[in-house]
Amino acid sequence: MATIVHAVLGYFVLLLTVRILSRRPGGQLTLFEFVIIFLVGGVAIGATVGRDQSVTNCATAIITIGFLHRLVSWVKEKSPRMGAILDGTPLVLLKDGYWQREVMRGMRIDPEDVMAAARSKQVKSIFDVKFAILERNGTISIITREGHGR
Amino acid sequence: MTQAAARKPVGDSVARVNEEVAVGEDLEFQRSWWRFERIVWSCFMIIIALDLAGAFGRGPLAHARITSADHSLSVRYERIQRTGTPSVMTIRIDAEAVRGGEATLFVSDKLVSALGAQRIIPQPATTRVGNGGLTYTFPVTSPPSIVQIELEPPGPGRFRFEISAGAKSATVTADVWVVP
Repeated sequence: MATIVHAVLGYFVLLLTVRILSRRPGGQLTLFEFVIIFLVGGVAIGATVGRDQSVTNCATAIITIGFLHRLVSWVKEKSPRMGAILDGTPLVLLKDGYWQREVMRGMRIDPEDVMAAARSKQVKSIFDVKFAILERNGTISIITREGHGR
Repeated sequence: MTQAAARKPVGDSVARVNEEVAVGEDLEFQRSWWRFERIVWSCFMIIIALDLAGAFGRGPLAHARITSADHSLSVRYERIQRTGTPSVMTIRIDAEAVRGGEATLFVSDKLVSALGAQRIIPQPATTRVGNGGLTYTFPVTSPPSIVQIELEPPGPGRFRFEISAGAKSATVTADVWVVP
């Protein structure tokens, strides 16, 4: 019983903590997926299973976390609002030659981060970038002036 | 499910930027989220400050000391403890509470059950059960004597304990909060 309660609390505390950490460019996984990695990886394992490291207790904890993950996925699918709350929404960083300073400041992203993303798409100059978009998983999508998404 | 029902025509409901790129940006939501983030970070800072101060145990605010009315018994303990985390309660018995080279110490049941007394140091000469607790006797050569009880609370809650060195005036009671 205590293990299930600890697993539920640990999941949501970790979900909140990871979610309010701003997305940083270069991420390959969504923040939502990081929660599972962190939990299974053992950040909260001490508080979750305590000293009872029996197979029964650990299996109960893992199953609980699995159910929570599925439940949260289902909620995200049913409610776009919940999807936005849990994963965020894409944000435009650069539009038609202008930095979107409010978004850049809010997401703590520098022009260098955008330029790095552009270089990785073989874009040589920032002037060739028409749109730079911070995606939900932390990557930056670059759309060039020619209109070719790269 | 029929084949027609299993298929759904492609639609484009995603908000566009400059009528060009379908991004789905929601800046109003994001502004609300940033406000929420600031509130949560403030709460986190308060939690860390409280933790450093010992409001959740293991810090200056958690340390406590009580002395009996006749000053023959004093107890240092943690008024805020954590579930499953060990702590030490130190009991000082002064000469006034020692009779015939022997100190008698009564500890209430709550100290044993709710606060999880694990070990008492030194080993008492005798232990008696009754009157809602345990009564230990210790041979004393030169007072004051120090007795330590290792605690490890099994669960959260608020618990009142009582320790007595014999007389009513040599009795202390206090509350301990155990956090999860």
